[in-house]
Amino acid sequence: MRLPLPGLDLIDVCKSYGDVPVLERVSLSVAPREFIAFLGPSGSGKSTLLRIIAGLETADSGEVWLDGERIDPLAPGARGIAMVFQHYALYPHMTVRENMAFGLVNAKVPKDEITRRIAQAADILEIGAQLDKKPGQMSGGQRQRVAIGRAIVKQPRLFLLDEPLSNLDAALRGRTRVELAQLRQRVDAALIMVTHDQAEAMTLADRIVILDNCCIQQVGTPAEVYARPANAFVARFVGSPPMAMLPGVIAGAEGGRVQVRLAEGMMLATAVPAGGLVAGTEIEVGLRPEHVRLAAPGTSGAAAEVELVERLGDRTFIYARLAGGAEIIALEPGFGTVRPGDAAALVIDGEAAHIFTAGGAAHHPEPRG
Amino acid sequence: MAWTVLLSFKSNAALMADSGAAFAPPWTLENYAAILQGSLTLQWLANSLIVATGATIGVLVLSSLAGYGFARLEFPFRRSLFVIVLLGLAVPEQAVILPRHQLFAWAGLHNSYPGLILPSLTGSFGVFFMTQYFRAIPKELDEAALLDGASRFTLFWKVLLPLTWPAQATLGVFTFLAAWNDYWWPLISATTSDYFTLTVGLASAQMNYAQTSGLGFLMAQAVFASIPILVVYIAFQKQIVRAMAGTAVR
Repeated sequence: MRLPLPGLDLIDVCKSYGDVPVLERVSLSVAPREFIAFLGPSGSGKSTLLRIIAGLETADSGEVWLDGERIDPLAPGARGIAMVFQHYALYPHMTVRENMAFGLVNAKVPKDEITRRIAQAADILEIGAQLDKKPGQMSGGQRQRVAIGRAIVKQPRLFLLDEPLSNLDAALRGRTRVELAQLRQRVDAALIMVTHDQAEAMTLADRIVILDNCCIQQVGTPAEVYARPANAFVARFVGSPPMAMLPGVIAGAEGGRVQVRLAEGMMLATAVPAGGLVAGTEIEVGLRPEHVRLAAPGTSGAAAEVELVERLGDRTFIYARLAGGAEIIALEPGFGTVRPGDAAALVIDGEAAHIFTAGGAAHHPEPRG
Repeated sequence: MAWTVLLSFKSNAALMADSGAAFAPPWTLENYAAILQGSLTLQWLANSLIVATGATIGVLVLSSLAGYGFARLEFPFRRSLFVIVLLGLAVPEQAVILPRHQLFAWAGLHNSYPGLILPSLTGSFGVFFMTQYFRAIPKELDEAALLDGASRFTLFWKVLLPLTWPAQATLGVFTFLAAWNDYWWPLISATTSDYFTLTVGLASAQMNYAQTSGLGFLMAQAVFASIPILVVYIAFQKQIVRAMAGTAVR
């Protein structure tokens, strides 16, 4: 048996709706003051997991511990948790001040203490002038701040944020992201954020928990999940555009490193250690766009046909199809001139390639020396 | 309406002579004086107010509680019970009025305020209406309140109920008007004039041939009985319009 430590501990949490499993034996430890992002596609169970922690759903089995106390039998209001809802869930008939005070009044916090906490939170969130307005009179961004304020005044042990930025327009989202990062510095509690936006997860979280298919696929820092994805799902899910997957066969090893023959017949010398990979095994080669580029004019490369070009100003993504039919994505700096339909020669950095076996297990390249 | 009001200020005799006389003076308050001189008129007014107010409060309390239950609580046979409530909408008063009369006679409820109020509380429209309204309130609000440590009652009383105010106003006005205007049941249940409501009482005070020889008086009765209703409409106009427009919860 594991000893629950300070912070949040999930132990073998299972949940299903009727016959449909949603979470299967999910275990996770979150350190105090850690910022965690639950990242996954729709239906991956990330929101359900958050709601189980909050007490809004009951797990079929498993335990939830917070700071050494088992909280899963407790009512939501007794867990010392505050949550910011996706649609804010502010009480429409109450003023901002009353919204923030509601939880404290229920907890029988003394009046002057309530006043003090609200003033402090309003100060942090710069909503002091709005305290007597009702939510209906405020913009989306302001409501978001009130929702965060309502969470802060409770001085919770754990903050839960359900898709906190999804209701904001692009400009406001960027600003709020910075504010969330600042908020994190000010509060003495762990934060868990559910998101399907990997940019949010990558920029805000200390660690990202990637969920899919009822299970945690990987837990790691943003750098880890990007550079060393635990399996093919994570490799495809993290990164925008995603990692390209090229079918191939292990051809052999040279210097202890795997050589791969791609479906095109092309040989690729990787930096993946050969241990455990037998020649003849069918695999997928994962390549990030930044490891594929257009060959300089007059030099040779893998022949491909350009299908789509995404120009972002500072860089250009080139979606191409190799002669053997596999899709690949290349990255060029600046505003590329290549056009859809063009024939292109691609230079593939084999030493950056990842190898995924049929079961989805990942083999990563050795770090460059 | 203008016609009714104008006629109410004419003497019966003048109208007998020429109903077109309504547009010209002399006007008189004698019809209203006659109404108020009826020794029981003020009692009937009070009865109507008591019955309509009692019915309104009763319907609002019961419908809110039942609506909240149907919309938010899990209990056995919830769906079947709600279907029964819906079926209740299809039962006309005519179908139940005889058994109801028998039942109230057996219980000794005729000629009493409870006897006049209770039948209004059995209508299922209010329950249906409030259930739909509670259902339209986002569940996130319940969840936020639960995380804020609210009890079930606090959640109902301080978060959800205040949000149903527009629906309460609409349902309240409709119930009040229906109870105020009801003629049939008070006619059956109240057999002593002490318990007449205004509608029954005024009708009982009509002279024979009222349509011809007492036209001014008849019109004054109609105006007199409508005043409280007008007051209710004007007072709650905003809520009624808002609830009809269905934009109440945002």
